[in-house]
Amino acid sequence: MKSKQIKIALRNCGHIDPEDIADYMSKDGYAALGKCLIGSREGVVETMKKSGLRGRGGGGFPTGKKWELAAAVPGEKKYVICNADEGDPGAFMDRSVLEGDPHSVLEAMAICGYAIGADEGYIYIRAEYPLAIKRLKIAMAQAREAGLLGKNILGTGFNFDIGLKYGAGAFVCGEETALIKSMEGNRGEPVMKPPYPAQKGYMGKPTNVNNVETFANIPAIINNGADWFASIGTEGSKGTKVFALAGKVKNVGLVEVPMGTTLRELIYEIGGGILNGKKFKAAQTGGPSGGCLTEKHLDTPIDYESLKQAGSMMGSGGLIVMDEDDCMVAVAQFYLDFTVEESCGKCVPCREGNKVLYQLLNKITHGKGELEDLKKLKDFSEVIKSASLCGLGQTSPNPVLSTLDNFYDEYYEHVTEKKCRSKHCRALIKYIIIPEKCVGCGACKRACPAEAISGEVKKTHLIDQEKCIKCGACYQKCKFNSIIIE
Amino acid sequence: MKAIKSIDDLKTLTDEIKVKSIGDKKKVQICIAMATCSIASGSGKVLEFFKEEMPKQPFEFMIRSTGCLGLCHSEPTVEVTLPDSDPVVFGSVDVKMARSIIDDFIKSGKTIDGVIEGN
Repeated sequence: MKSKQIKIALRNCGHIDPEDIADYMSKDGYAALGKCLIGSREGVVETMKKSGLRGRGGGGFPTGKKWELAAAVPGEKKYVICNADEGDPGAFMDRSVLEGDPHSVLEAMAICGYAIGADEGYIYIRAEYPLAIKRLKIAMAQAREAGLLGKNILGTGFNFDIGLKYGAGAFVCGEETALIKSMEGNRGEPVMKPPYPAQKGYMGKPTNVNNVETFANIPAIINNGADWFASIGTEGSKGTKVFALAGKVKNVGLVEVPMGTTLRELIYEIGGGILNGKKFKAAQTGGPSGGCLTEKHLDTPIDYESLKQAGSMMGSGGLIVMDEDDCMVAVAQFYLDFTVEESCGKCVPCREGNKVLYQLLNKITHGKGELEDLKKLKDFSEVIKSASLCGLGQTSPNPVLSTLDNFYDEYYEHVTEKKCRSKHCRALIKYIIIPEKCVGCGACKRACPAEAISGEVKKTHLIDQEKCIKCGACYQKCKFNSIIIE
Repeated sequence: MKAIKSIDDLKTLTDEIKVKSIGDKKKVQICIAMATCSIASGSGKVLEFFKEEMPKQPFEFMIRSTGCLGLCHSEPTVEVTLPDSDPVVFGSVDVKMARSIIDDFIKSGKTIDGVIEGN
């Protein structure tokens, strides 16, 4: 049951040879560029605006509007940048597009160049994507040879060429101002906006930055018309969105569904449901900047607005499914660990604040939390959100706030009863042998790396809680289900 | 590819390519996913196998290495399109299954396990 999918950005992935330009052309490749070059620049911007396409990298800014702003700024030299610095843990749609259909991105960048009046484009891609880089290089060489990139494209007098810039895998470089700094050879640190890149971007020139998935939609929009695209999706969010389904779901992978598809359809119909018949607990969207959707959100149509309303965000489309075995405090801690590592350190609220959040969460998962820590978590989160310089800090407390909102009970139990109901937080659990069930086979004793289990053969064994390191090896080994976690 | 000089040339060329690809529908078309994820789960060997075995078969064929279909749960995937038929996607393909795809599915037209429905 994957029929709910409509593939636009992924339309060619898996169906064409990405290293063969003719294969792309057999699917109307570069027809959209030809169509645009006959018409006016304003016409292209107008089509983009009418389509209702919004940035697929996370923010959801209307693409047509972005192009209009960049087009309106006077300047001889402008740049088009493709943001391929895909950094959200668990998101890989950009890689899939670049590996499966690189020409669609090149074509869309050329269209954008024509629309805003730029003659140079760059793809900022993470160096961890060697295959995508290889295929992009092949595609660029083929497009140049075919006269679809370079000088006087298709005899129309339009010049446009594309280069690659490699990122070193810093999460903050997905933020457009930090990305531009990094491209210029500086430290990847964000700067205050305004001025926006559209006014003063790469090398101080007007620059338009769009994400890979956004670009991948564009040739299809030009070929099929803005109305076609706008007829798919919801009121405020048009078209489709690619989600990377990951976590405790049966069919992990990339899916592309119309905006407005519900979480239930995504997880149960397309994803095949939760692994091992467990119970759904939450789905994390938007990566480290997003939040959790819970059971009560299962039937909410997903689009930019509804996710925001639910305290999460679209982000780049990572969707990590969690079941009853996942501890929500530990999930928040995981994301904060990531942000602490990835904060560039330029502004104090993000650099220091996230560290404080992490330490508080660490205290709670280790059974040392107090009730007032929960209030502190909330207060610090609000400050970090409102005082940070860029999107990283402005959104990094979201996982904490959203889990606090939706799973306050779990936090409360951690601090008051020192209990982790998911039996995930090691400091809060105990492995215990039930004497009635133990047959004295000794399997657990042999498996224990800490020599914490004692007992003679065919007699009840016992775990020494002082010595136990809670690795769970005995639990895994026991064939008689006589070890329980408390 | 020769440089395309005008928009009309682009249209002509696209039409030629499309005519050729319609002709390809008379062949057995095999698409092997070769994205990072597919390669990591072993699609390289499967591609090699098809490249080696298909020329020994008595029918026209075409092998394409493509990006992925997003079916991470079932990589490596192979999409087989028999002449004038709808494509069929096989998941978790190894060399043994590839053998069966050629012998049982393509040659004998039998239904075999491992088909991923409706993507």
